[in-house]
Amino acid sequence: MSGLPESFAIVTDGLSMRYGSETALDGVDLRVPEGAVYVLIGANGAGKSTAMKVLLNLVRPDAGRAEVFGLDTASQGPQVRAHVGYIPESHEQDYKWMTCGRLIRHVAVHYPAWDHEYAAHLIDIFDVRLQRKVATLSKGETRRLQFVLALAHRPPLLLLDEPADGLDPMVRNRALAQLAEHLADTPTTVVIATHHIAEVESLADHVGVLSAGRLVAQMSRDELRRTVLRYRLEVPEGWQPPPELRVTSMRRSRAGREVQWTLVGEPDDVTARLAAAGATVRDVTPLALEEAAMAFLAEEGAP
Amino acid sequence: MIEVTHHQTPRWRDVVLEQIRIVALSLRREAMVLAVVVGIVTIIIAIDIIGGRAGTWFDSDEWTGVCFLSFFFPFAVWRGEKRFGPAFLWTLPVDRRRLALTKVFAGWVWLIAVGAVFIFWHKTLAILSGVAGPRTTPLLSLTGATAMYLLGSALVLGLRHPLRLLLGTGGVFFLLGTLNEAIGRTGGTSRMLAWLGIGTLATSSGLSSAVEQAVLTIWRTYPHLVPATAVVLWICAGVIALWAAASRHRERRRR
Repeated sequence: MSGLPESFAIVTDGLSMRYGSETALDGVDLRVPEGAVYVLIGANGAGKSTAMKVLLNLVRPDAGRAEVFGLDTASQGPQVRAHVGYIPESHEQDYKWMTCGRLIRHVAVHYPAWDHEYAAHLIDIFDVRLQRKVATLSKGETRRLQFVLALAHRPPLLLLDEPADGLDPMVRNRALAQLAEHLADTPTTVVIATHHIAEVESLADHVGVLSAGRLVAQMSRDELRRTVLRYRLEVPEGWQPPPELRVTSMRRSRAGREVQWTLVGEPDDVTARLAAAGATVRDVTPLALEEAAMAFLAEEGAP
Repeated sequence: MIEVTHHQTPRWRDVVLEQIRIVALSLRREAMVLAVVVGIVTIIIAIDIIGGRAGTWFDSDEWTGVCFLSFFFPFAVWRGEKRFGPAFLWTLPVDRRRLALTKVFAGWVWLIAVGAVFIFWHKTLAILSGVAGPRTTPLLSLTGATAMYLLGSALVLGLRHPLRLLLGTGGVFFLLGTLNEAIGRTGGTSRMLAWLGIGTLATSSGLSSAVEQAVLTIWRTYPHLVPATAVVLWICAGVIALWAAASRHRERRRR
């Protein structure tokens, strides 16, 4: 976790939560730096949405605590939510009997920082038709409305749960461009939960990987790019990697005496350890952000 | 860079006014149906007034229905609003229990407003019909309606499936009553209904009448201890039940 700045927008300590026999969160220690675009990736059911709900105090963890801008989420829930713009995973929007315009006015009342001029701009950008009843909106239209509701009060923290889900490619690009513009205008910390990292790769500068409720990796994009690499090795018969190396099962292939491993660690250190274990490093290749992050998910099933 | 304003929670007055506005909007359909019904009844009463038979319309027993409707009014107020789980309502930056109670208050404001209009309509027609000093004191029904509304709100806020509970309870009492009479204990059903109306204040029309009769007595004459206690009891019971129900939605404190 080296290189992370001191000032964090979100800090969680040992967050744990179970739904019956299912583990949703297992001792999660999130550290989201202020101003970062933090992409939380993980498979379906990994605990991404639950983590966001804990931050909004919508669900109570079994153990652990969470702070948003130094505010305790359990005892200062309303104050925390006043600082947050939230797009839920669900496309189901309540108040189906309302028109989009009335729903926007309703939400605006609850945020004294609501920027009406900016809201009008967002309505235009996201092509939200104010006279439409919420009940008649498609998935994509609901998502666009949710973008307006989340951004218009210029919150210092955005929690976006699968934000591009339901958007067609054209609208998705427009939404992400608008998000980038928003970040340029407004100092904002963003947490994006997704299992499609490629969609938000251009925005991401920090990555957290959740697997079965456990935070298995958390680092800056630069650190991820520097320390998660693919090594092509020539190894003797029956060779096993040194146990102290974090080996992922991603892209492991064997062709004669050559194997490919995705390994985590400082490259010089990893190379030295491999050499000491009898392997010859033939090649080291950097990975794309998605590939590097996905390597941690595969690690769970590594030998 | 645009300077980020300090993000605060909304002013309480704004939240209350907004809840009053949206509850009114959400009840537009019911209001239209009510307006049509009242219009039709007005025409019928007008015909009876012309025929000199309107006196029967102004019996105090009519107000039992108002209390009964008040019990179900919260179902309309909360219709379409997810109350349990991470619902949209709870993502707003307002203390959750206070927000729930505010919505209940907004519904009560409209209940009383509609009640007041209803009373005005009723009194006007009574005077037009020539009923000298109507026997009813319609204002009284507002107290009973409030008690019933509080209890109904507690049910809606506190339970995921309040209608199932109501239907189940009704079904159980019906079955027990039928069983009771089948084994030769006549009057079992009416005794159970009386029991539902609580002890000495019970009447055949149940709780709402008990409350209403108590209030009638208070307003018409010197307040007697027993009925005054009954009113206070039912209003207090409603408030306590409502508080307990709203507390199910309170902010999630750490264990």
